Amino acid sequence: MEKINAGDTAWLLASAALVMLMTPALGFFYGGLVRRKNVLATIMHSFFILCLISVQWVLWGYTLAFGPDIGGIIGGLDWAALRGVGQDPGPYAPTVPHEAYMVFQMMFAVITPALITGAFAERKRFKAFVVFTLLWATFVYDPVAHWVWGGGWLGQLGALDFAGGTVVHITSGVSALVAALVLGRRVGFGREAMDPHDATMTVLGASLLWFGWFGFNAGSAITAGGLAANAFVVTNTAAAMGALTWMTVSWLHKGAPSVLGAAAGAVAGLVAITPASGYVDVSASILIGLGAGIFCYTAIQITKRFKVDDALDVFGVHGVGGAWGALATGVFATVAVNSAAKDGLIAGNPGQLGIQAIAVLASIVYSAVMTFVILKLIDLFVGLRVPESEEVLGLDATQHREAAYQI
Amino acid sequence: MEFLAFASFAILVVGWLVAPSRTVTPVSHAEERKAA
Repeated sequence: MEKINAGDTAWLLASAALVMLMTPALGFFYGGLVRRKNVLATIMHSFFILCLISVQWVLWGYTLAFGPDIGGIIGGLDWAALRGVGQDPGPYAPTVPHEAYMVFQMMFAVITPALITGAFAERKRFKAFVVFTLLWATFVYDPVAHWVWGGGWLGQLGALDFAGGTVVHITSGVSALVAALVLGRRVGFGREAMDPHDATMTVLGASLLWFGWFGFNAGSAITAGGLAANAFVVTNTAAAMGALTWMTVSWLHKGAPSVLGAAAGAVAGLVAITPASGYVDVSASILIGLGAGIFCYTAIQITKRFKVDDALDVFGVHGVGGAWGALATGVFATVAVNSAAKDGLIAGNPGQLGIQAIAVLASIVYSAVMTFVILKLIDLFVGLRVPESEEVLGLDATQHREAAYQI
Repeated sequence: MEFLAFASFAILVVGWLVAPSRTVTPVSHAEERKAA
């Protein structure tokens, strides 16, 4: 067993803190996009998930995702309540305390269900949201994290996912689309304006997400070295290209360079580079950011055309951006960046693209089916939506008995 | 790869040059009241 490395441990703990910040940042990103009568409820979704999954993860989430493998499907219960997860290194990271690795992974488990909340914003009953989050984290996130990172079947197959293209973004994005379809449209959707109540809040949230994403991707190197530096650089580059591209496409399409478009484009670029960030060089990150801006923007126009009320465009940004990033990893990956990984299509290994496609497909199908089942069960026993009268009044007043602004 | 990276950035620059630059004329308060 290797000795604990102070630099690696410091970087991993700092990265965990960076990723932690992303969830409240997401609350502000989403909070600015909703109407003022729902801003507290929307921020509460993210803040509450930070608390809920922090406890779920230490009790049973971590062991299901990363515990000793059972048939390539799920982790065993050996590490329930963190039994045996202490200050010595674990099997996944030989130079850091097992607890440090666990808490870094916890922050990924926290933000993933929070991403989905943008799809059912402004209409979901708080109790239904609580039950959904707990079930979804246990039956969707934890198994898929095991498949890819915990020694499960997709990892054994050779799927590359450096920081969560499949585990985080495809699962949340696809689940968001299913949630939007099952819950139905908001009252007044398509008939009345539902403009963002505070675009400045959204841009601030996007900026904090960008900041936290350095921990998300560069922290996933688990070591404080060259691989982390590469992940940091390609993350920043793809975010910038995503923002520039989305802004340009929306400018050409709608006649004005949208500020909210630039913010959404940056997030799309960050999503797309996530699975690739430990495997691709900076030129590839420019192309990945470009693709994210084009594909995610287009996907949102299509969902709007079909009148799907994915309120804050979660599927377009995370589902499509995550799928693009996972497939692009199979195209642009090179062992010149990460000798422990594999080459992609351009470096002469077309088979990797096929493996990535299997990982994308498996994540889509599993998360869609499970999310549908979970939502239907909750609708049966709890009820998914607030009554129409409460939706018109707003969730801040009816679900939380509070108001965001007194001015 | 490097060529594609430069080319994709160049496409964006061209996009900014050909994008519409029209502005919306500000409406004065007097005109707003008149319209109302």
